[in-house]
Amino acid sequence: MTTASAISVQGLTKDFRVGLRGIKLRAVDNLSLEIPRGQVFGLLGPNGCGKSTTLKIVLGLVPATAGSISILGFPSATSEARQRTGFLPEAPYFHKFLTGRELVQYCARLSGVPSDQVNDAVEASLDLAAMTEAASRPIGTYSKGMLQRIGLAQAIVHDPELVILDEPTAGVDPVGSAAIGRMINAMRAKGKTIVLCSHLLGQVEQVCDRVAIMDRGRLVLEGRVDEVLAQRDRHVITVEGLTPQAREAAEAALAAHGAKVTSITHPRRSLEDLFRALVTGSRDA
Amino acid sequence: MKPFFTRSGWIARVTFLEAIRQRFFAFLLVLSAAMVVSSVSFRFMDFGHSELKFVADFAFGGMFLFGSVLALVMTAQLFFAEIDNRTALTLLAKPLSRTEFLLGKFIGTWAVLGVFVFSLAFLQGVILWSRAQELIVLATESGRVAPEFSASGLFSFAVLQWFRLGVVAAMVLMVSAVARTFLFAVVVGAMTIVAGQLQWLAQEALLKPSDANALTKALLWLSSRVIPNLQQFNIGDTLVLDPSAVPADSVGAVVASGLFYLIAFLALASLAFRRREI
Repeated sequence: MTTASAISVQGLTKDFRVGLRGIKLRAVDNLSLEIPRGQVFGLLGPNGCGKSTTLKIVLGLVPATAGSISILGFPSATSEARQRTGFLPEAPYFHKFLTGRELVQYCARLSGVPSDQVNDAVEASLDLAAMTEAASRPIGTYSKGMLQRIGLAQAIVHDPELVILDEPTAGVDPVGSAAIGRMINAMRAKGKTIVLCSHLLGQVEQVCDRVAIMDRGRLVLEGRVDEVLAQRDRHVITVEGLTPQAREAAEAALAAHGAKVTSITHPRRSLEDLFRALVTGSRDA
Repeated sequence: MKPFFTRSGWIARVTFLEAIRQRFFAFLLVLSAAMVVSSVSFRFMDFGHSELKFVADFAFGGMFLFGSVLALVMTAQLFFAEIDNRTALTLLAKPLSRTEFLLGKFIGTWAVLGVFVFSLAFLQGVILWSRAQELIVLATESGRVAPEFSASGLFSFAVLQWFRLGVVAAMVLMVSAVARTFLFAVVVGAMTIVAGQLQWLAQEALLKPSDANALTKALLWLSSRVIPNLQQFNIGDTLVLDPSAVPADSVGAVVASGLFYLIAFLALASLAFRRREI
């Protein structure tokens, strides 16, 4: 079954009953969304905006109050849909007594990977998650970044077409975040659809093709990253060797054509770039 | 059908490994073993029963008491650990049905209960057999009737206890599937065990002619059918010390009854868990 959308959400609504009086709390409000295949899709929003609830409904972990969802053409929560989906939950927790390799083997078995292919699938996913060296250690000894990476390995061990990552870089240092970003790019290169739920907007901007922003259970914006971020009425010109005289002349020339210079500043790199350059450099050395 | 049991088997395997590592399991196993071993030191007490019967009853009591506590707490704990630690999120997002998940949790728990019951039964068998040999020698010397000890009867008793604990675990799993907290599951689970122990009262009341009204009779009938009679599994001392007194088909009948309730409670647990929000 081939459809243009990896995930199609139509009129999704979710109400929770809270308290003894059963007061209705609407977590997701008539959400409709199409996530195209083969792209990295960022689902953004503040805490409590309904992103995680939406993901849980997509995965069949929480029933919807109203609406319908299909995954790769199959109704969500069916075995066919789950067979094609990988999921890394937020702040994943795994059985500490298992080694990383045992966990990924366990998940491969549950995901229906044929017995004669389990070992190859496990080693391939451990390799992609850069966890081969630590795979024989018990999970209880892992750092937070390693937990996220082994979580990613278990999510992709059955080679799913769709990978859903809920806050994959939460609590991970910038170097670990960059490693996870590289894994996402590697999966994109293989044609996988990736849904990324994150608060790290810088990372989302870097890796996502499209984004959707949710607020109070509703979709407030959706589109291609370059389109939604572009400010078409403003321009940035980067100039080297700008003297005060040249600057005045440039401003006058622009003013003569009706344009107004609103700011002239020195370009700066992000703190994340600086941190990554310094820390990665010292680790590599 | 094969993938169903394969996936449940993997859940069961990890559940078993998790449970067997728990200090709670080790603590109860050691405590129960100590109780079985210490039963020998009470052999000089005479409450009107034979020595072997007293030793056997004391050890069976330990197995029953600590086995029930283990089945109750461990089943609820292993279930809620998956929910509270959110490992269930990872597992149930896979092509794994909730019935497979629950069945795997049950099989893993029941396997640990099997380790508990059969370890204690083996220990008790060694103690009873060695004491029986001494008593046989004494009886032969004094011309009295030698006491009887049946190893196969002890094995049958262990199987019955394993099924009894399986029924308890299935009941607790059913309660856990609807409960929101571990504490609620344990308290309600404990109440169902007590109800199961007292179920024979409802059966007896039904059999006796009485002037109770129709509603009371209907409630008695319902409770005698819905609640399993956990007392029916307690035929240990007769099986071990006087196996000829037990009808040949009674063990099979009790096992079949236990199996019926076990499957019924698991089916209800699966139904209740189907739409639970994880």
